[in-house]
Amino acid sequence: MISRTTRQVKKLILGCVLLLIASGSIGLANGPSLSFDHFYNHAELTQALQTLAASYPQLARLESIGKSHQGRDLWAIILTSAKNGPPERKPGFYIDANIHGNEIQGAEVALYTAWYLLTSYGTSEQATRLLDEKVFYVVPTMNPDSRDYYITKAADPNSPRSGQVPMDDDRDGVKDEDGPEDLNGDGSITQMRKKDPKGSYRQHPDDPRILVPIRPGEKGEYSLLGQEGIDNDGDGRINEDGPGGYDMNRNYGYNWQPNYVQRGAGDYPFCFPETQAIRDFLLKHPNIAGAQNFHNNGGMILRAPGAKNLGELPLADVRVYDYIGKRGEKILPDYRYLTVYKDLYTVYGGSIDFIYSTLGIFCFSNELDTDPSERGTDRRGQSREDEETAYLRSLQRRLDEMDYYDRVLLGDQYTDWKPYQHPVYGDIEIGGVKKFGRRVPPAFKLAETCHRNAAFCLFHADQLPRLEFDTPKITKLDDGQYQVDVSVKNTRVTPSISAQATQKKLHRMDRLAVRGNGARMLAAGQLVDEYRGLTRKLDTRADSCWVEGGIPGFGQTDVRLLVKGTGDLTLVYDSLKGGTVETVVKLQ
Amino acid sequence: MISRKSLCLVLLGLLSVASAAQPVAQSRIVHDRYHSPDEVSAALQNFATHYPGFATLSLIGKSPGGAPLHVLEIADRGAGLAKAEARPAILVTANIEGNHLIGSEAALLLAERLLTGAVSDPTIKKLLENKVVYIAPLLNPDAAQSGYFGALRMERSTNATGLDEDLDTAIDEDGPDDLNQDGMITMMRVKDPEGEWIVDPEEPRLMRKADPQKGESGLYKLYLEGIDNDGDESYNEDPSGGVELNRNFPHDFENNTAGAGMWPVSQPETRALVDFMVAHRNIALVLNFSTENTILNFQQTARAKATGERVKVPQRFATMLGVDPEQEFELGEVVEMFRGSGVFGGEVSEDRVAQLLGSGPAVSLDRQDLPVFEAIQKEYKEALKTAGVQYPEKKARPVGKGSFVAYCYYQYGVPVFSTDIWAVPEAKKAETKKAAAGGEAPPDKEATPRTRAGNSSAGGTETPDLDLIRWSEAVLGGKGYVPWASYAHPTLGPVEIGGFAPFARVLPPPELIEKHIALPVDFYLKLMQKTAGLAIEETRVKSLSEGLYAVTCFLSNPGWLPTSSAQGRRAGGAWPVTVRIQTDKDQALFAGRPIESVPSIGGGETKKLEWTIRAKSGSNIQIFAESPKLGAVKTQVTLH
Repeated sequence: MISRTTRQVKKLILGCVLLLIASGSIGLANGPSLSFDHFYNHAELTQALQTLAASYPQLARLESIGKSHQGRDLWAIILTSAKNGPPERKPGFYIDANIHGNEIQGAEVALYTAWYLLTSYGTSEQATRLLDEKVFYVVPTMNPDSRDYYITKAADPNSPRSGQVPMDDDRDGVKDEDGPEDLNGDGSITQMRKKDPKGSYRQHPDDPRILVPIRPGEKGEYSLLGQEGIDNDGDGRINEDGPGGYDMNRNYGYNWQPNYVQRGAGDYPFCFPETQAIRDFLLKHPNIAGAQNFHNNGGMILRAPGAKNLGELPLADVRVYDYIGKRGEKILPDYRYLTVYKDLYTVYGGSIDFIYSTLGIFCFSNELDTDPSERGTDRRGQSREDEETAYLRSLQRRLDEMDYYDRVLLGDQYTDWKPYQHPVYGDIEIGGVKKFGRRVPPAFKLAETCHRNAAFCLFHADQLPRLEFDTPKITKLDDGQYQVDVSVKNTRVTPSISAQATQKKLHRMDRLAVRGNGARMLAAGQLVDEYRGLTRKLDTRADSCWVEGGIPGFGQTDVRLLVKGTGDLTLVYDSLKGGTVETVVKLQ
Repeated sequence: MISRKSLCLVLLGLLSVASAAQPVAQSRIVHDRYHSPDEVSAALQNFATHYPGFATLSLIGKSPGGAPLHVLEIADRGAGLAKAEARPAILVTANIEGNHLIGSEAALLLAERLLTGAVSDPTIKKLLENKVVYIAPLLNPDAAQSGYFGALRMERSTNATGLDEDLDTAIDEDGPDDLNQDGMITMMRVKDPEGEWIVDPEEPRLMRKADPQKGESGLYKLYLEGIDNDGDESYNEDPSGGVELNRNFPHDFENNTAGAGMWPVSQPETRALVDFMVAHRNIALVLNFSTENTILNFQQTARAKATGERVKVPQRFATMLGVDPEQEFELGEVVEMFRGSGVFGGEVSEDRVAQLLGSGPAVSLDRQDLPVFEAIQKEYKEALKTAGVQYPEKKARPVGKGSFVAYCYYQYGVPVFSTDIWAVPEAKKAETKKAAAGGEAPPDKEATPRTRAGNSSAGGTETPDLDLIRWSEAVLGGKGYVPWASYAHPTLGPVEIGGFAPFARVLPPPELIEKHIALPVDFYLKLMQKTAGLAIEETRVKSLSEGLYAVTCFLSNPGWLPTSSAQGRRAGGAWPVTVRIQTDKDQALFAGRPIESVPSIGGGETKKLEWTIRAKSGSNIQIFAESPKLGAVKTQVTLH
């Protein structure tokens, strides 16, 4: 089923033909054909996920992990092959997107990632290995209510960002009673302006559709009156209490601050059904070791911390982030790898802080896509320009932007200014950029956004801990005792336990156990100097010891065991986030 | 049930006047012992049964241990202008810590005083006709039940959420054990080469840390009584239960701290309470009973001082505003600067400016609110003096991190008062000197074995002190202290078990409950009379010329507390008074706005509002004033 909006977008872009060719080249065998040339509303997304799950019963399982405020399913598609044991024993990679209702393209990226892995299993070495060794938990949209609102109703590029739980934004005792209206009926919420000699804007000298701020001494021509709408509740203000009115990505329970410190925070952490469902899903899958959130826009690969008060992350963890983030900049050429609080702004109660600092998971958040008008501008250069040059440049940029709407999008995402009789303002004009005109990619670019970001996810997932035993060395001692030297290697950058998790005791440590006929672990030590045989004592139980700190990235941990037993001895290295590996040796 | 005697009377009462709306005589609850969670619930149900027009019981949630969380609503539902939900409300809360059982007794007494006075006492009658009181007398039933009323008595502030404190994948597998079988958990001391503790040479019943400067060296290690149940060489490191509810609230929450919970408001009890408060935005005052005494000590933490909020303007804004970035201002001053500057459009509110300045959360009482807290503190001290109660003021505990009281003030945004009701009295001067000479450790130097009970805010296992010894001897017949006695410990070898009895430090003996709860209950009853109110004091009409009238409205707060706190306005927990003037189609507002917003009216203060109206002589206009926390008033004015 293709929605009206979808068709509208599709019609504008001939590029979808190119796109199908592009998709065709990506190792699609005979799986279901999904197209990535349009945005899926929730019903379409549900159908696409169901089709994927039904087509690959051996690899995919679709689970409703909760309901949105308005009762839509929050879907998680779980991907892994039956090889290498049960899913919960494999390192997990988690993806969610679209927590902000208007930031929709993350859902397509997430869907694409699932589709790519499934359709490439068995033909692509990487996809096959990842599904064999790892498990993917993919939640394409965290905010289906506002996603549908944005796609199917009159919206604008920046909203609805919130979920759809009604809030009394203007504190008048009524909720959501004065939102914007699509007065000109173009399917988007655009802008209102009025001819006004007292106004502080005038028309652009080369394009009357564009308004520019007047400079000192210049005569005003227009006032901007904000978004399309009327004063529904007669309180003298327009559009001051629209749908929702909060920010779910400020509602997570780590370093959370209330509304007066962090706008949109909600009454307390996880007070919304969607954030609750995601939290519970994450807690239910402690094997998740890597995570990715998708937002728009600006072309960024972001990491924690979100606020200065948290201090920098432990250095060992920063190295992991840097390794993946810097390679991400190559996979995503227009994207910059940044730290939220340092390079962007302060976020209290954000998802990436909770996921990393409470759950011990390495997590990135990508701001998908850059707006066309931002491309190619050298931001650093601008600050050195004198005022006049900067002004002229801004005039030119506005023209370039209009060129893009006129000649690339062929006028589809720009509504020309038309007169309107407003109940309060009288004769006004309504027009401007429509909802798909900013922040989301045009359909002809969506596939690239999807593929490159999926590739980044797969790279990160491939960098989750990958543990293996070196052949253990057995030395026979007296009294049926054996000294067993065990090395567990990690061939990837992510440690089996993050430094944060070790320092803050976020979850259990790794465990090394022995199994076999009469097998007992008498003593254990972590080998710190193999030449001198120095070990650091590890606390042992009857058959196991805890390995604090786990296995570092691109490194190994050497343990010397004193074992009793006969015959075959199975060594089991069991890591909450690094998976479980086993090897069998003969005690002789 | 409360007692057999009262049960009989309750039943009699039920039989005789079950359906009458009038309150019926019910026998008093006798506070001669601490009432268990079941008894507290039963008492609340009895109230609801016996005062049908006044008391309504609702269940707001359940603890992880399955105990009900009740709120008793008290209001004269038959009287008053507004439905109970629309009246200004006072929330009374108690025992969020679980070990502060005397708080529950006080809350029950408070409920009883309100209900028995609902008809006969004119002050209470008036209060219940105009306001509604919500009483939650037991907010941590799990800790109360298992700590005090279980088979084994031990101080505990955690609810029954199972946690794997030692991260060994087993839950609650190594708690304390009653090795000497005296029915309670005390301490163990063990001679250990690593021991830091010695027997106090001045008072051999006390333990204190060795002072190497004096040539002393430690002899003992201290543990909570118990064995290493899970064989990991740690003792009592994973006891039953999990989260200390009074550390689980979202102001100044400690992340990554096991006892505080994984995130703020993560527990069923804290969530039920916060949900209740969010749903009842008419709550204008919170009166709390806990081990915190914020009436006498209103510091945010032991360190912060009540200095009020002074801010610096960051460089980039300082330039725009033309002020010195090094100078400190009050937030209100900066708000005015922004208002005058046109730096950003739209409404320039305090919270918007605070965010812009990156001020972060408030950490001390706002200076504008301070006079209220100071006045109440003074009154409380006077009340103690008048009653001849020797309360050790220096021991008054401020709020801790993540505390409920802090949440009420800093985030929910209403005035809140908390009293601990009782504390171990100070030993007499000479004795204190002796204790000081003995090197009593200052609180932050007290090293206690890292156990859940040891970390609890009430601290029954803190460094023993002389006051408690004296108290135990003088009042408890020595029962507050268990003399150290030898015990053959299975893994530690010969140990001694003893020290202070659980609850000795937090609770007075049952026979003293009645004596101690009377004063704070009286005090809270009086405080309830001081809540803010809203009245249209007077309206004046002045004819300016034919068909043109000046209307003046004097809006007043007949209460003593201001209609909103400064922190409430900042945090958005307070509502302004909204004043609407209603004109008909033949009338027109010439000057003044149809909707006016009054941020705050101080106690006893009056605010003047003026409009100029064009209307026919003899026509009427209506003026409405309302706020969720104050209720609604209206008046009609005839223009002539």
